[in-house]
Amino acid sequence: MYNNMGPQPGMPMHQGIPQPGMPMHPAIPQPSPSEYVQSNISRYFSDPQYYFQVNDQYVRNKLKIVLFPFLHRGHWTRISEPVGGRLSYKPPIYDINAPDLYIPLMAFGTYVVLAGLSLGLYGKFSPEALNWLFVKGMVGWFLQVMLLKISLLSLGSGEAPLLDIVAYAGYTFTGLCLAVLGKIIWGYSYYVLIPWTCLCTGVFLVKTMKRVLFAEARSYDSSRHHYLLIFVALAQFPLLIWLGNISVNWLF
Amino acid sequence: MTKDFAVPPVVFPTGGSSGGANVQQRRFAPIPFQQPPPSSSSQIPFLSFNMGSAAASSATQAGPFGGTISSSSSFGGGSPSFEDEEPLLDELGIHPDQIWKKTRSILNPFRINQTVHKDSDLSGPIFLYLALCLFQLLAGKIQFGVILGWIVVSSIFLYVVFNMLAGRNGNLNLHTCTSLVGYCLLPVVVLSAVSLFVPQGAGVVKYVLAGVFVLWSTRACSTLVVSLADGGEEHRGLIAYACFLIYTLFSLLVIF
Repeated sequence: MYNNMGPQPGMPMHQGIPQPGMPMHPAIPQPSPSEYVQSNISRYFSDPQYYFQVNDQYVRNKLKIVLFPFLHRGHWTRISEPVGGRLSYKPPIYDINAPDLYIPLMAFGTYVVLAGLSLGLYGKFSPEALNWLFVKGMVGWFLQVMLLKISLLSLGSGEAPLLDIVAYAGYTFTGLCLAVLGKIIWGYSYYVLIPWTCLCTGVFLVKTMKRVLFAEARSYDSSRHHYLLIFVALAQFPLLIWLGNISVNWLF
Repeated sequence: MTKDFAVPPVVFPTGGSSGGANVQQRRFAPIPFQQPPPSSSSQIPFLSFNMGSAAASSATQAGPFGGTISSSSSFGGGSPSFEDEEPLLDELGIHPDQIWKKTRSILNPFRINQTVHKDSDLSGPIFLYLALCLFQLLAGKIQFGVILGWIVVSSIFLYVVFNMLAGRNGNLNLHTCTSLVGYCLLPVVVLSAVSLFVPQGAGVVKYVLAGVFVLWSTRACSTLVVSLADGGEEHRGLIAYACFLIYTLFSLLVIF
């Protein structure tokens, strides 16, 4: 395999060519320090460009999956393709199950705008209140990422790329936007939409994490898996109720 | 009754007196090196001292500052060198006719002329920002810092989203992005002016108006961004949604 890679930077050119008097051994390409750092960074923080290869059709279908996960008839596994000797996943345009960062970012922005609108309709709008809502949303996103990351770590392997986890966590904001929109249009619909959103987000996350755990975990311990997944689904309820409660102060 | 203090003689440009020249040389003496200003004999001495010392100290640090000296020392000086200067607006980079052309191109919501926006500038957006702040002030809200901060944050947001979506061939730069976001604030400025006259109780009218103006802004901004930078053609809807979010945020400031 290393024959195909060509001369690595930092490696002397005569390595691998049999020299007279030297023992014959296959040359192991030594990574230069910058490559070592780069590969370690890319293990934890993958290239963000991958997550923005989306188009209209993907966005529409993904929203349908996130908001109504019961209706998804297909499978939930990501399609992988061998790229340069390593196994990597197909970008979101080709694979509906791949995570992307466009939808979470836009959903978060929509949540902030709709929350500002809802505050204004109750007469409590001010730019500082909007800043607090932004921070609250960020904290909520962070808590969701922590939840998913801890559930991955407790099963022995936390090696999914961080941006994947950030993307999965950000999908909760789509359902939340729906709930806040319902609250603006008709106050009582909120009490129907919030349980629905919690349920849908729970199902989506469980189905996704099941695949991620299956791909990444070293040991398959069935009961611990299931308890953790149920915990992830149940933890959506307090989190989304806290985020959906638009008010000026931090807690309820 | 009249106090006696030494007034330096005021010398007017029509040929200096020897007294003025003497005072000038005495003042200039402690400075190690200076280039004597070209029309030295026709200067008001104390004015030229300040200009001369400031320019001379800079001339000691970097040689070819003779131009600076001559232009700064001609402030108090003779009329021919004053008229040779560049006009102030040109020197500051503000071109009112270009700003007016760009603003007028956004006023028509159905056909936006993209060619005038090819060179981006930030002075038009600053002018529109001040107009928005003025109308908000007339409505009783002091939001200078808020609006400026939101313009900066939203232009960075649009820059990131566009370049990420466009991928390798995305070449929107931050200056162009801020310029476009700023110019497309024009409908929001108009909204804030109009909402000053909407009576207090009619909430629905305000929301409908805001919706119309926000859609106008979004259409202008997304058309301009897609046409001025490469790589955005197949993502028009996605970019338009990002612009929509930005201008809805500004309209929230205006409505509430």
